[in-house]
Amino acid sequence: MGVNKAALRKSNRPAKDDRFLISFVKLFLAEPGCKASQGWVVSRLPLYMAPLFLLFLAPTLLTACGDNAINSSGSPLALRKPYEDKVLRINLGTEPPGLDWHTSTDSTSFDVVSNLMVGLTQYTNDLEVKPSCAASWDVLDGGRRYLFHLRDGVTWTDGKPVTAYDFEFAWRRLLKPETAAQYAFFLYDIEGARDFNTGKIRDFSKVGLKAIDAKTFEVKLSKPAAYFIYLTAFCPTFPQRKDIVEQFGDRWTEPEHLVTNGPFKLAKWQHEYKIELDANEKFFEGRPALSKIKMFMVPEASTAFALYENNELDFVDNRSFSTPDVERYRSSPEYRNFPLLRAYYLAFNVSKKPFDDVRVRKAFAMAINRNVFPKILRRGERPTNSWIPPALGGDGCGLSFDVAAARRLLSEAGFPGGKGFPETKLLYPNREDVRLVVEATQDELKRNLGVKIDLVNQEWKVYLATTRKDPPQMFRDSWGADFPDPETFMNLFTTFNGNNHTRWHSQDYDNLIEQAEGEQDKEKRKALYQKADVMLCRDAVPIVPAYLATQNIMVKPWVKGIAVNPLDFQFFKTVEVGESNK
Amino acid sequence: MTAANRSPWQRLLKIPTAVLGLAVIAAICLVALLSAFGVELTPFAYDQTSSDYLAAPSWLHPMGTDELGRDLLARIIYGARLSIAIGLTTALTAFLIGSVYGAIAGFSSPKVDALMMRGVDIAYSLPDLLVMILIGVVMGRGTFGILIALGLVSWMGTARLVRSQFLTLKNEEFIEAAYAQGQSNLNVILKHLLPNALGPIIVALTFTVPSAILSESTLSFIGLGLSPPACSWGTLASDGWRSLRAHPHLIFFPSLFIFITVLSFNFLGDGLRDALDPRTRLGKGK
Amino acid sequence: MFSLIIRRILMSIPVLLIVASLTFALVRIVPGGPFDSEKSLPPEIVANLNAKYHLDKPVHEQYFLYIGRLCRGDLGVSYKYVNRTVNDILFDAFPVSCQLGIVALGLAVIFGVPLGAIAALNRGKRQDVLAMFLSTMGVSLPGFVIGAVLIYVFAIKLRILPVGLWESPWHVILPAVTLAFSPGAYLARLTRASVLEVVEKDWVRTARSKGLSEEKTIVRHILRNSLMPVVTVLGPLTAIVITGSFVVEYIFAIPGMGRFFITAVMNRDYDLILGTTMVFAVLLIVANMFVDIVYQWLDPRLRME
Repeated sequence: MGVNKAALRKSNRPAKDDRFLISFVKLFLAEPGCKASQGWVVSRLPLYMAPLFLLFLAPTLLTACGDNAINSSGSPLALRKPYEDKVLRINLGTEPPGLDWHTSTDSTSFDVVSNLMVGLTQYTNDLEVKPSCAASWDVLDGGRRYLFHLRDGVTWTDGKPVTAYDFEFAWRRLLKPETAAQYAFFLYDIEGARDFNTGKIRDFSKVGLKAIDAKTFEVKLSKPAAYFIYLTAFCPTFPQRKDIVEQFGDRWTEPEHLVTNGPFKLAKWQHEYKIELDANEKFFEGRPALSKIKMFMVPEASTAFALYENNELDFVDNRSFSTPDVERYRSSPEYRNFPLLRAYYLAFNVSKKPFDDVRVRKAFAMAINRNVFPKILRRGERPTNSWIPPALGGDGCGLSFDVAAARRLLSEAGFPGGKGFPETKLLYPNREDVRLVVEATQDELKRNLGVKIDLVNQEWKVYLATTRKDPPQMFRDSWGADFPDPETFMNLFTTFNGNNHTRWHSQDYDNLIEQAEGEQDKEKRKALYQKADVMLCRDAVPIVPAYLATQNIMVKPWVKGIAVNPLDFQFFKTVEVGESNK
Repeated sequence: MTAANRSPWQRLLKIPTAVLGLAVIAAICLVALLSAFGVELTPFAYDQTSSDYLAAPSWLHPMGTDELGRDLLARIIYGARLSIAIGLTTALTAFLIGSVYGAIAGFSSPKVDALMMRGVDIAYSLPDLLVMILIGVVMGRGTFGILIALGLVSWMGTARLVRSQFLTLKNEEFIEAAYAQGQSNLNVILKHLLPNALGPIIVALTFTVPSAILSESTLSFIGLGLSPPACSWGTLASDGWRSLRAHPHLIFFPSLFIFITVLSFNFLGDGLRDALDPRTRLGKGK
Repeated sequence: MFSLIIRRILMSIPVLLIVASLTFALVRIVPGGPFDSEKSLPPEIVANLNAKYHLDKPVHEQYFLYIGRLCRGDLGVSYKYVNRTVNDILFDAFPVSCQLGIVALGLAVIFGVPLGAIAALNRGKRQDVLAMFLSTMGVSLPGFVIGAVLIYVFAIKLRILPVGLWESPWHVILPAVTLAFSPGAYLARLTRASVLEVVEKDWVRTARSKGLSEEKTIVRHILRNSLMPVVTVLGPLTAIVITGSFVVEYIFAIPGMGRFFITAVMNRDYDLILGTTMVFAVLLIVANMFVDIVYQWLDPRLRME
């Protein structure tokens, strides 16, 4: 009781600090002393709030009537000039984890690096390899020795010439265990490289890499590898400057230190937000037409696409629009669609019942109608039933959709009409497009085979750990090509490949692949890979290839020269932005 | 006096908004239960695909269809049971853990109280996602795992609230009076402190329900939601929000149902607060 | 007051230590490691990576290494963002989230608290129902839906505000409003409940019967006393809002630190998870300390104890 009285006394005492509040409350009271409900702000509250409310709900209702997006409104933002001269604004999607082309591994970093740097060779847009830093090269000793002859006049941004020593230093650094480069295995075909990388030998002179002089670079392979030349066009094998890397340590990729040799140079890097590249005037092929590239990092696709629609981006690709956005623009001249060397497949764990029985695997492969995938994914995906993509010589040799045959095989295996089929789990990482694919697969299997499978989603890293350690009977997986050769796809299912999670292995298959790797004759090589493809997709069926992804792009009319290649490298050195192109 | 003598239930039924809220919740629960027991309320099954992809609302599909050609109405009905289950279970878990923890803290000596509140600080500071992934791994990523995960990361707010209510009420005279009558600690907590603290707690709980429904949709947003083809309103909303411009029905209907449900819970919560409030029950005063 | 602050600071040290240890344990229990990727690596290379980041040492050694570095204020290095330290990353990102969070929190308080008070003072009338409607919308619409609608209306249709990015003060408006919705609605509901509670108290009736003017009654008796629960939630709310929101930063492409709470866990970027957690924990403790101080100021009874 005493406490309460004290409290009352205290709170009754007029305090100076509540004057402001009192005057604030007066706003809500029309006349001093009247009830709050009669205050002028309060009594008009519904009037103030109603528009707010409508503002919020109305558009949702309005859009129900459909939205024709390709219109232009005459509002203030639209009146501004829609582009900046000679400046290309694009979206990277995410922060590149790093611009050190030895330690980064992801496509975002490589999108930046491949515009900053050139290597010994480079890809044309048709994925042919053409000379770059190297003016020419000799293939000697039956494909075991490469001699690269460097071009004159290729310089770094600080004016020094690019030499064979820069390549030797870079490749050595790539292989050094201390660098801990994930792509070091790219060079494992080189003599002694694997042992050096794993610390078994410390003496670098035993590794088959050598700068003979400033203009000649020699590489010795431990066995012929027909795809080796492709690797010299890929970011991890680009040269590096010993002095710069050693002087600035971990910070050598920051804009103030980085020295490069490509069409652009790094001007600004606001982490998690934006990278700016400026034209490199000293580029050996000549100054690029653009003076600047602004690479934003907008993670959400629909936001990035809205930026494009509002003329704040000039070029967007898959990572910058959601599927509904693509649909609205499918017939627009700004829209284009390119095939990619990226394949999606369903895999079986062949060590688990009932998928140890090849008939069950074949039944599943024939019961899934792959034509459904492009209809639900809606990005122009190409259904496939063989593992080698058509662009690399694949001929669709796999099992095709045939419900009757599938049912027959399933009943031969002891599950007529799906009766008695054991509980089966299909594991997938929870990503939007994947979810649709596995849901459609689940439905196809239920309808065509009478088999009900359970979908299990896991967070990305958990999913990766599970597929490696102990995958369930079925899982969804994908593979993107590292270089334009069937090898990158076919090697995946050899016995010792760390990415083969199917538990399936075959000595015959391994032999075929090894034979193909060493084969120098193009046609013979192709035939060997096709033989292996038949084994994989027709006979043993540890996987069900589903579809090949495509790159969808939108380009504003004032941009010229954007090209997309199937490896999804984006080179901007020939792009132009400006009045004359409008 | 007559009003005060009625039971809380009778007084709840006198409040029109509360009755409305109750009716809507009851209807949703009924639909959810019916669908859970296999009564077919729509001509389509919730996981039945068709080639009628992304159809706009029509007589055949009153709410349209999704990317796989599934009837959205059927999915909304199916989603009702999971959303309601997620909301209620989470609220219940939060209430049980939170009020026991908060009551002990608020009633104990300042030292124990401070220690327990540091415990809440610790629980707050742990990244929710980390805890949820861990639980997901232990329990499996099914519906049950999500229920447990959401419950375990949402009790701290209730604990704080209960404690602060107890701290304020502890010194009220009617508590002192109860002690003077020689009542035991437990008795005081259960008969006097808890009922008096119930108002804000119920309001907080009516917030836990929607926030659980929303947390679940955020989980789907970052890719950790329910295993398809199971769906809740939250997953439907997070799957559909990018279609705002092209196929607005995909986002409009799930949002609408979350809104209606939350509004009903709020109405009901408010009504409950009034009906349960001991001060009004005792006839305005002591 | 001063001794209270000192006591709280001393008490927070073991709390931080426990948070660090628990998080350390949790990140290592969760399956998957920082170097798992779609293209799995040869074991030799994984061994090189683990050696580089001391992940090959026994866990207890890693733990002591980590705690030792933590005491020196070094939060470690990121495994995902090569060559960047966690200190660098958070130093860049926190100010952005903080700016956005303060604006959002301001909006939430300015709109939420009066809305709740008005609703309570006009209980059962249309103002009340309307306020309830609005606050229900705030809590029942997921942040991504609110953000998408705001972008659609103001950036795409009306073209009066930017879609996203972080360039000028104009760019703050839409994300701040999106971020403010849910806490604003929450504060409104809480204020309403709390004011209703207080209005029925004896001392308010006493004050009115004494002939105190309405606005003075509201300010000195009702508002002040009903703010306690509001202040209680405002503490943790501040810590949550200024450390950023994944959804809002993701949708509006804002380079804040909210995203790390999700992406760091997704990438198993151990030190970054621990770093963001520690920053959050420190802010939470500071915020709660403020709450306790404000308590003492608001509630004279506590001050007297």
